[in-house]
Amino acid sequence: MTALTLYVRSRRGPAALGAALAGAVTAWLLAAVSGQKGQVTGVVLALTVLVLVAVLTTTLGGPDDALDRTAARPWGWLRVAHLAAALSGVLVFVAATLLTQTRFGPFTCALRDTAGLLGLTAGAAVVLGAARAWFLPLEWTLGAAAFSGTGTVGEALTWQTQAPGSRPAAVVAAVLSVAGIAAYVSRGPRPRRSSENL
Amino acid sequence: MKRVLGIELRRSAALGAALLIAVAGTIVLYTTGGRWSAGWLALATTQREYLALLSPLALAAGAWQSYREHRANVAELFASVPRPRPLRIVPILAATASAALAAYLVTLFAAAPRIAGTARYLPPAAFAVVAVGLVAMIASIWVGLAVGRLVPALATAPALAVTGFAVLVFAPHALPDGGIATAFSPMGTSMFSDYDTVADQVSAAQALWIAAIAAAGVVLLAAQSRRHALTALAPLAIGAIATTLLVPTGDAYARGTLDPAAQRLVCTKDTPRVCVSRAHEGLLPEVAPRARHALSLLSAISVVQAHEDTTTYSPPTAPEPRPDTALMQVTVDNRGHLAHPQRFELAMLIGAFVTPPACKQVADFDAATTAAYWLLDREPTVGLDGAFLPDRKAVDLWKDLKRLPRAEAEARVVAVHRAAQQCRDTSNLLSRSAR
Repeated sequence: MTALTLYVRSRRGPAALGAALAGAVTAWLLAAVSGQKGQVTGVVLALTVLVLVAVLTTTLGGPDDALDRTAARPWGWLRVAHLAAALSGVLVFVAATLLTQTRFGPFTCALRDTAGLLGLTAGAAVVLGAARAWFLPLEWTLGAAAFSGTGTVGEALTWQTQAPGSRPAAVVAAVLSVAGIAAYVSRGPRPRRSSENL
Repeated sequence: MKRVLGIELRRSAALGAALLIAVAGTIVLYTTGGRWSAGWLALATTQREYLALLSPLALAAGAWQSYREHRANVAELFASVPRPRPLRIVPILAATASAALAAYLVTLFAAAPRIAGTARYLPPAAFAVVAVGLVAMIASIWVGLAVGRLVPALATAPALAVTGFAVLVFAPHALPDGGIATAFSPMGTSMFSDYDTVADQVSAAQALWIAAIAAAGVVLLAAQSRRHALTALAPLAIGAIATTLLVPTGDAYARGTLDPAAQRLVCTKDTPRVCVSRAHEGLLPEVAPRARHALSLLSAISVVQAHEDTTTYSPPTAPEPRPDTALMQVTVDNRGHLAHPQRFELAMLIGAFVTPPACKQVADFDAATTAAYWLLDREPTVGLDGAFLPDRKAVDLWKDLKRLPRAEAEARVVAVHRAAQQCRDTSNLLSRSAR
């Protein structure tokens, strides 16, 4: 238990969780105040999920990943548990709004966006390091939010903001999610020394 | 200063951010080529509209840069330098501003070759629009720096970017008047016709408001402590008041969205004269031969020249109707060329046989379509020409007309044109004798 507590603390888990909660509450309040009754649009949902994922994935890297690696820990299982916790964290926050008047849904869309963006961010953390992992998901999701594509290629390229029934979007999200999570679980974030500048 | 700027550019995230922003901007511009293929002003306004994407990315870049400086743990060291903080932040302001400028201009120049061959009309408003976009990029990255310093956390940058996106896209809807909403939204408005423009006053108001935001960002970044952060509200307040006073509202704003110079006609030197608007000047070589062929078919009805139909709906304008002139619709395709060239003549001929929009009489498109196909000596075909779907009635009318002696058929076609010009009903003119 102590080891787990230390792990969560070294990744600043509580702060990230608090920030994610604050982000979800802010998004919900803004949507409620702006008079949106019922379901929010796909763009609002995708952006909210993006912020929550970006906040929670700041925990993917620790202060000194290279030092981390030297420890004989079951890293694969830890990383799987870490990503599963982040995924369920986002989904719990989003699903909680389904009980209110201003719903961030449908849940299938939230699941697709969360899984896809989490996978993308985890994959980017492997390549670029945890601190830079948000670049690509942010750029891609903002682009998709500004221009929702149509047709198979368009829906695949702007999968974040598609309607729940879109098959290309679901496929892209699934591929990103599986590939990103597999890469992160097997390799971990790109190692960085605490002395290295960002 | 030059050396410091060079060091700052290499040391900071400015160049990488500029590259990422330019790539994103170029991708979205190229995937939506049809929106800006019409000309330079369309390109400038479309790119500025995409500030919805570029500006949040610049905000994120600024915040990320401040987070990096925070992580470098040298704030105390730098504070020991005998230089006041407002002077110390000049290099990073310059480096980030040049990165933002470069990103915006690279995007613009990457898109320009696509329409360089066809776009001719370059109004001064296009430069004003680009200038406002540049100021908006600088303001975004500076505000990002300031917010990143106030909240030095890794998640600040993405969260700030999403907030910026939401503010840019959703907030203008909350403002009542078109002019005010445009002035406070750096994205401006879309172009609804190729003759639209952005009035100089509107551009000036936008630039003023964005400059106020940039100033607030600088004040916030230069503030020694959080206690002084509230002084950043002063430029915002001054800017908001000045912008509200400067921007034209209501009808004055609506009038300013149209550029009469873009509607002015540019004609071929030789006869028969074919004239297109200045906005479509580059299309004249493509339009002229087709229009002349159509004019030669119309020789029986005393139409000797073809003008572009420069009708707009908001604000409503229409070209002066002239009995010797056929109007033609000139639309631009994705690549900047004439859209649907194969049905250009048909559309122009049909236009000669429908009652002008000013008439109370509802236009009979069956008669007009039949007459146009008779002149082209082609059977009306369903669906072949895309937008035109001649129904059975037009095909039957055409067959009846074709069976008649040529002189009689021509007389009936001429009668349709005359009736249409005089706002009379054209429905039965093709099926009964003209004499």
